[in-house]
Amino acid sequence: MSKKLTTIFIVDDNRIFRLALKADIEVAFAKKPIKTHLFETGENCMQEIKKEKPQLVILDYNLNSLVPNAADGIKILDQIKRECPETHVIMLTSEDHIDIALKSFHHGASDYVVKTDTKFSKINYSVFNLFKIIETTDEAQTYKYLSIALSLCIGLLVGGILALQLINPSILK
Amino acid sequence: MENVCDLNYLTEMMDNKKPLIGGIMDSFLQQIPEELQSINDAITKTDYTIIKSFAHTMKSSVSIMGIAILTPILKEMEDLGKAASGIERIKELSIQLNLICEQAIKEIETEKPNYA
Repeated sequence: MSKKLTTIFIVDDNRIFRLALKADIEVAFAKKPIKTHLFETGENCMQEIKKEKPQLVILDYNLNSLVPNAADGIKILDQIKRECPETHVIMLTSEDHIDIALKSFHHGASDYVVKTDTKFSKINYSVFNLFKIIETTDEAQTYKYLSIALSLCIGLLVGGILALQLINPSILK
Repeated sequence: MENVCDLNYLTEMMDNKKPLIGGIMDSFLQQIPEELQSINDAITKTDYTIIKSFAHTMKSSVSIMGIAILTPILKEMEDLGKAASGIERIKELSIQLNLICEQAIKEIETEKPNYA
C-alpha cells in the first residue's frame, strides 16, 4: 500500500464511536501514513474541508442526535461533493433501509455501511477498497502526465530533426 | 454478580493497544453519565424526541464496550420514543438502564488502571 499521506475525516455525533473508529483505522492500516480529523457535526467538518482536502470522509447519516439543528448526512454529502468532488465519502447509518442506501449513492457516496455488530470490519474493508481506488487514480494520473511529457519530448525531437533538415539538408546525410 | 462489560471485542479491535483502549474508556466514563442525565431529564419532561435520540446514541456507545445486555433495552426505548408513546414502560426500562450503566461504570473504573 502507498506511503503517501492520506487524510481522513470522521464525522459522527457520538464521541466514543469517533474515537473507537479512529483507533480502529489506525490499527488496521498501521503501515500506511494516515492523518485523521474528528468532527461532531457536518458544519464543523465543512469548515476544515477546503483547507485539508481529505481523500476520504466517513460520514454518519444521522448527525442531529445531540445538536438538534445540525445538518443531516445527506446535506453534508452534497456540500462535500460541491467543495471537493474528488473526495470519497463512506456513508454510515444505523438503519438498514434500501432507500437511504440509494439516496446516499445518488448524492455521490462511494460506499454505504450499516452500523451492525460487525461495523468496524465492514468500514475497514470499505476503507481498504477506497485506498486502492485512490492509489489507482493517482497512478493513472502519473502515467497520464508521463505520457504527455514523453509525447512532448518525441515531438521536440522530431521537430528538431525537421528543422535541422530544413536549415541544412546535408547535415543528416 | 456477573460482569456486564465484555472488553474482548474492544481489545481485539484495538489489537490490545492499551493506551488506545484507555482513551476510549476515559471517553466512556465521561460520556455515559452525561447521556444518562439527558435521557433521565427527557423522561421527566416526557420528551419522546430526546428519549429516542439519546437511546439511539447510547446503543452505539455501549456496543463498543460489549454491554450486550443493554442493546434490547435501548432498542425498545428508541422504538417507544419514535412512536411517542409508552412513557410508563420507558420509565421501567430506564431503571434497568441506570442500574446496568452504574455497574458498567464501576467495572470500567476498576479495569482502567490496567490500560494506562
